[in-house]
Amino acid sequence: MGMAWRRTVAGLMILAGLLTLGYVGISSYIAEQLVYEAPKAIVKTPASQSLRFANVSFPSRNDGIGLKGWLIPGVLPDGRLTVDRVIVVVHGTRTNRESPGDHLLELTGELARHGFGVLSFDMRGMGESTPAPLSMGALEQRDVLGAVDFLRNGTPPFPELGRPRIIGGLGISMGASTLLLAAAREPAIAAVVSDSAYAEVVPLLEREVAKRSIAPVGRVPGVFAPAALVMARLLYGVDFFAARPVSTIARIAPRPLLLIHGTADDYVPFANFRQLNAAATSAPGANVTTWIVPNARHAQAFKKTGVEYVTRVVAFFDAALGAAG
Amino acid sequence: MRGVRAAQPILVLIALVALLAGLTVIAREISARAGFLVERPIVLFVWLGGLLIASVVFAWVVRRSIRRADSTFSGLLLVATALALASPLALMLLQHPAP
Repeated sequence: MGMAWRRTVAGLMILAGLLTLGYVGISSYIAEQLVYEAPKAIVKTPASQSLRFANVSFPSRNDGIGLKGWLIPGVLPDGRLTVDRVIVVVHGTRTNRESPGDHLLELTGELARHGFGVLSFDMRGMGESTPAPLSMGALEQRDVLGAVDFLRNGTPPFPELGRPRIIGGLGISMGASTLLLAAAREPAIAAVVSDSAYAEVVPLLEREVAKRSIAPVGRVPGVFAPAALVMARLLYGVDFFAARPVSTIARIAPRPLLLIHGTADDYVPFANFRQLNAAATSAPGANVTTWIVPNARHAQAFKKTGVEYVTRVVAFFDAALGAAG
Repeated sequence: MRGVRAAQPILVLIALVALLAGLTVIAREISARAGFLVERPIVLFVWLGGLLIASVVFAWVVRRSIRRADSTFSGLLLVATALALASPLALMLLQHPAP
């Protein structure tokens, strides 16, 4: 081998090494940022809605992550409390069971005032639950399954009210996608309301990575996104590629499913709704209802429509879960 | 014997990647007992630190191999090693962000 050839090979090796080292190094750092964000504090409780509630703790299914939540009994027209029908409420990403951005606590209160017990809890790594990596539903579905286990077998905080006869679920944004994943695995979730769910999370994360700014590099190009997702799996065991409810939503049939999405959603584009609806209705015996909310931005349907939202959701659950016993 | 020597860089590259991935998984398993807030920075530290050390070791092996390369075969193996080294960059092609 001549000197020129050796220099060429050495140059090639240095170039490949430096580019790969930089690419993998920056992607690893982005992955570390993606999988966790400091939890937001809970400021208000259901007491602010003049509702009775109990603080509850329970483990997620399979991996036993400690989760915190509220069990709020439903209020019957005569003022009696009930947990005959309980809705598991699942919040979105990087927030908590209060979730002021989409007025989740207010929605929770409305459900309770319409006679539904509500189990609203913080998913892993968020609110007051145990710190854990964020996986956009891939792991968090175990939290929803843990909530179902708690309702069926846990120590009831209101023993005088007994155990729920039937369980439904309502999720918003990532909570909706997580709930769809969990409901596909757990037949005890008898009906599902999914508001602003994504069909698969990877395309959204790729876009989010391109929007991020990391010190000292500054804003990073989107080309780092695929490697960051791979590194999240290698480093933290987080498989974002598994957060794909479009693959499993058909298994919810024949249980009733209400899909809600705003046409002005710029975080989870409306195409996600179409994908989920197509997949859900493809199942034999599918029982899918849809509500497209004109000009509603991401997870803002309740804020935008208020009473109409509550009326539609309550009517859906009344039909799906039956009247309170 | 000469073939094995010529293939040394690519074999070292494979061994280093496997070793680094294994060490990171072990670090994750051990630090996970202390909670995710401890696990998260430790895993990144072990990975990035290991990546730098592995780079130095690999650079030393490659430098020695380039000096010893005395045939077209060993030259081609070095080029193949450079391509394998750059293969993670192909992940860029998988990008398909939402509109």
